Amino acid sequence: MNKTPAIKVKNGTRFFFRFTVNQRIQHFILALSVVTLVLTGMPLKFSDTSWAPYLYALFGGIHAAPVIHKVFGAILLALFVYHIVYLVYVIYKFQVLPMKSKEGLSIGKVLKLLANQPLVPNLKDAKDIGALMKYLLYLSTTRPDGAKYTWKEKFDYWAPFWGMVVIGLTGLIMWNKELATMIVPGEVINFSLIAHSDEALLAALFLFIWHWYNAHFSEAVFPMGTAFITGYLPEELMIEEHYEDYVEIMTQEGLEHEIRPPHGTHTAVSEEGGHA
Amino acid sequence: MKLTVQTFRHNLYLIILLICFLISAFTASVFAADIGNCLLCHKYPGMSRVNEDGDLKLFYVNEDIFNNSVHARVKCEGCHSDVKKIPHDPAKKVDCLIECHIMEPSTEKKFSHKDAEFFLENSVHSKNDKDGNLKKFTEDMPSCKDCHDNPLYRPLSFFKTVRYGVSESSLGRCRVCHKKEEFIYRFYNHVTTRLHKSRNPLNIAEVCARCHNNPEIVARHNLATKAVYSYGETFHGKAAKFLDERIPDCLDCHVRKGESVHQMLKHENPLSSTHKDNRDKICTNMDCHPSASPKFATYSVHAEFNSVQSPVQYYFTLFFIVLTGGTLLPLMGIIFLDCIRRLFPHAVIKRRK
Repeated sequence: MNKTPAIKVKNGTRFFFRFTVNQRIQHFILALSVVTLVLTGMPLKFSDTSWAPYLYALFGGIHAAPVIHKVFGAILLALFVYHIVYLVYVIYKFQVLPMKSKEGLSIGKVLKLLANQPLVPNLKDAKDIGALMKYLLYLSTTRPDGAKYTWKEKFDYWAPFWGMVVIGLTGLIMWNKELATMIVPGEVINFSLIAHSDEALLAALFLFIWHWYNAHFSEAVFPMGTAFITGYLPEELMIEEHYEDYVEIMTQEGLEHEIRPPHGTHTAVSEEGGHA
Repeated sequence: MKLTVQTFRHNLYLIILLICFLISAFTASVFAADIGNCLLCHKYPGMSRVNEDGDLKLFYVNEDIFNNSVHARVKCEGCHSDVKKIPHDPAKKVDCLIECHIMEPSTEKKFSHKDAEFFLENSVHSKNDKDGNLKKFTEDMPSCKDCHDNPLYRPLSFFKTVRYGVSESSLGRCRVCHKKEEFIYRFYNHVTTRLHKSRNPLNIAEVCARCHNNPEIVARHNLATKAVYSYGETFHGKAAKFLDERIPDCLDCHVRKGESVHQMLKHENPLSSTHKDNRDKICTNMDCHPSASPKFATYSVHAEFNSVQSPVQYYFTLFFIVLTGGTLLPLMGIIFLDCIRRLFPHAVIKRRK
């Protein structure tokens, strides 16, 4: 298998590798099913509103929309299971096995390995949030330098991850209510409905406000981020969002002398200090 | 033929007779119920009067609508029995329990809704208590017209199920033996309307909501829930709002299958469908959730977001509200600050030392 280049140059701009084809397909399925589930679920949650019947009619109304909802719910759950398998496989094959052959295994080492995965929240995230708040409140002039995945992206990953567990489980209970109530009392369906619809509203608002702002609508990215399609992030955005990772990749690729300074503020302040 | 005055008069007589016949034949088919010629006046849309209480009362009768209602064959005088002459005195309110001029075909007795009264008096909606004394707030108890109006026919078409309503193909089959168009049309409407409900689940819920969603009545009678509101929070209620006809409404659960809907009983009554020992039979019946276990029926249909009525569900919901607000508000705050910060990327508040 050809290794994907870490940096591609196109029209004089450097593009940095972010997501594999496999990950991009997973994201596409995730996005498509989440949007469909929101569109076929929210009219039911807000059935009293004036827009609900029209949106619901678009998906075939009360007879077809629930079927579509279940089909895409099943796709999303299948994706979730696949993702877990994929995660375990990738970590095992590319990290645990090499470690085994190099230095041997112990529980402590594996746990440390897991804790150091790039998407696991760590102390730097807490520091970055603090630094960002200072920057946003005009108390400092620098945005924190992001690592491979910033705390925002970790939020984007773990919030739907938790949501998927809650919404998926409660969705399965309501879908198979007769089977579920062989074991649990009927009131569990009440709680399932509350958790399913309220958590879904939270997830939808989170994704459509927070995730879309950071990935597409922020002034730095507007009108649309393209890394989810191409898998590559342009140099400008790497510097803006992932400066630590940027420096690391440039160094690995032997381009130390071409590393550009962090965006705007560091140098700009010294240059424009007189005006401020 | 020599035209004489006599033959002219004779022909004129025949023509007038023919016109009269045509008019009467025409009117007979349209004003099936209007033997007393009430529509002579009541056909005018503006016909109204301000009564003693100052309310404007409309007396217009739309004959097209009336002729498509379940009472199309009942003559005006059948219900307004106090009207004997035209013009008439102010008519009394209609008593639905009188015998009307329709024959009930199976017993060949005069038709009456009197049996409904019997069931209603033995139900939770009776105006009297067990000992025959008037209940407290007896004026809140429903009588016929609080729930019923004159419903329209809702004919069903099964023919290749392409169109709703009257199936032309079925009418064709009726015409093989039955010759009177009016009879065929009415009989088809009557039978197929009765094969399902004359109101859809949403309409049924709206009828019950008149009292059971009224906070004052709910409080006065110590009812546990605003029943139609809480029903509307369930999947059944939401599907009803999207005009699903297959979904259960109030009557499907609160009346035993095959019994009169007028005989609604308190849930404490062991005969009631909603008594705790019978509740599972509602859900697990063959038409609904036949594979469900009795535990299924412990689902709280009428749970409200209310710390007194359903405390556990209240705090469970509150947790999600706090979680949603606690997650989104700080993040939206960051987005807001970020938007402004990007306008002034170099601004900084310098601290004085």
